[in-house]
Order: sequence, then structure tokens, then C-alpha cells
Amino acid sequence: MSDDGSVELHPLADINTIIHAPARLMVLTYLYVVESADYVFLIRLTGLSWGNLSTHMGKLEEAGYVAVHKEFRGRKPHTSISLTPQGREAFRAYKQRMQQMLDQLPD
Amino acid sequence: MNKTSSLDQVERAVFRLSQNDGLYDILLGCLMSQMALAPLLSNRLGDFWSSAVFLPLWFGVMAAIWWLKRHVVAPRMGTVSYGPARKRKLAIFTWVMLILNLAVFILGLITAANVGRISGEQTSLLLGLMLLGFFSLGAYFMDVPRLYLYGLLLGLAPPVGEWLYQEHGFSHHGFPVTFGTAAVVMIVTGVVLFVRLMRQPPIEMDGEQFEDQHHE
Repeated sequence: MSDDGSVELHPLADINTIIHAPARLMVLTYLYVVESADYVFLIRLTGLSWGNLSTHMGKLEEAGYVAVHKEFRGRKPHTSISLTPQGREAFRAYKQRMQQMLDQLPD
Repeated sequence: MNKTSSLDQVERAVFRLSQNDGLYDILLGCLMSQMALAPLLSNRLGDFWSSAVFLPLWFGVMAAIWWLKRHVVAPRMGTVSYGPARKRKLAIFTWVMLILNLAVFILGLITAANVGRISGEQTSLLLGLMLLGFFSLGAYFMDVPRLYLYGLLLGLAPPVGEWLYQEHGFSHHGFPVTFGTAAVVMIVTGVVLFVRLMRQPPIEMDGEQFEDQHHE
């Protein structure tokens, strides 16, 4: 709260917008609690389409938050994704920031 | 974030989803069906062969589960590698089960050496408590609540079977009925979960998507 009693929301301005998008936040939350997961598992968890998930993954990979591991299992391609240490730290910082923000809001 | 969306609960939800294909329910049900079927076979085959005859069946069931996990479940459910907290929990569970199994083995030897001095009721009660304990620990460590129900069914199976045997003259200490019921419940639950998963189409990507991924 500021001196005049109003709630200061300006910390929201510098919130991490890469994480803040609902679909990416959902993906990062799931990846935060596991070591790695493949595309199919993430699609099942999030309900996103393959293309949608792929687009969001591209942005997260570009930001250095996720690492994509591609391999062939037999003759089938398999892609698994894990959070990088940088992604883990960014998620932790985002969570802390949001928690602080929400705790400051009046009931 | 409030308690209902805590990361622990998210992790639990992820773990439960990964265990929701029903195959382990079917496996456990098949294993428990041995307790129901072996006594019926023992008259013809003797104690040793009535149990040993199930060994090839277990290998067959395990091979089928391995194949189904890889070729049927994975394309529909995907695969996940658990985080360190879950791995630690599963490791503790493995050790606890190992120690308990050893304790049960020793207890079994003591019981066998004291045949005649330990009554049927006492033996069945002990067996029931052990099964209840095993499955309750499994439910706790694996975060799969239906294992509590299996534990209850299996825990009640020996004493209820003994009661059916003594009061109503059921054969083989009532095991074929009580363990058979528990096994059927487990197998049916597993089949329902598996069929539910099978109704979802597999999610597969072709080689081109694989190459193009993240390079749009």
C-alpha cells in the first residue's frame, strides 16, 4: 500500500509477460513439478492443441526457459520438454511476485 | 495462489494422471486372483504346483502390460519423468515395502513352525492386517486413493473367508469367494479405466512436424 492508502499496482507493469500468458503459465506450472514430460502428456494435461502448444513452446524455448529434447523411439519421433535452471528460477520469481501482489490486495 | 492450486496438488494431479491407465489395477487383480484360484487347484495339483502354475501367467501378464504401456498407453497419455520429490517418495516406498516383505517372510516362517498352536482366526486376522497395511501404505505413498479400497477388500478377505468357512461351510477357508471378489473389483476397475483411455484417440506427430517443431 502507498502512503495515501491506495494499492500500488505498478509492480504488475514489470511482471514477466512470457510466463504470464495463461497457456504458458499452465505449461510451466506442470513442468515445474516434474523432471520432463513429452508433448502428448502436456496436451492431455493442458487441453491445448498440438499447434498451440508448439507455438507457446517456441516462445518459452526462445526465452531459454525450456529445453526440448528430440529423439526417435524405434521409428517414431519423440519430443520431451524440461525446464531449464533459468526457467525454474524465472517461474519461482514470477510466483513470488504474484503472491506478493495478490497478498497486498484488500479483501 | 491458494491452497487448492498449490504446487503439491498440481504434482499429485500429474502423478495420478500418469497412473490412470488401469493396467496396474488389472495386474494387482490378476495377482490377487491367485489367492482365489490356487486353493481350488491345490486338490488336483498339490500345494506347490497350484501356485507354480501361475508363474507363466504372470510373465504373460507383465509382458502384455509392458507392450500395452509402450504401444497403446504412451501414444494416448504421453510419458512423464517425475520430479525429485516424487522419486524420493517412491524410493522410500520401495524400501518400506522391501522391509515389510522381509518381516512378513520371517513371520510366515514362524507361523509355519507353529502350525497347530496358532488358530485359523489368528492367522486370517494377521494376513488381513498385513494386506490392509500394504495397500494403505501404497495408497499413501502413491497418492492413489482407490488403493485404500483395495486394501479394505483384501484386508477383510481372510477373516470374512474364515467366518464363511466356519459358519457356512465354504470351501478353502472362503478364499475363492472373498479374494475372488476383491480380484474382480480390481480387474473391473482397471478395465474401466483402460477402456476410458482407449476411447481417446492417440496423439501422434509425423516426422515433418517433428523436424519443423519450434522453427515456425
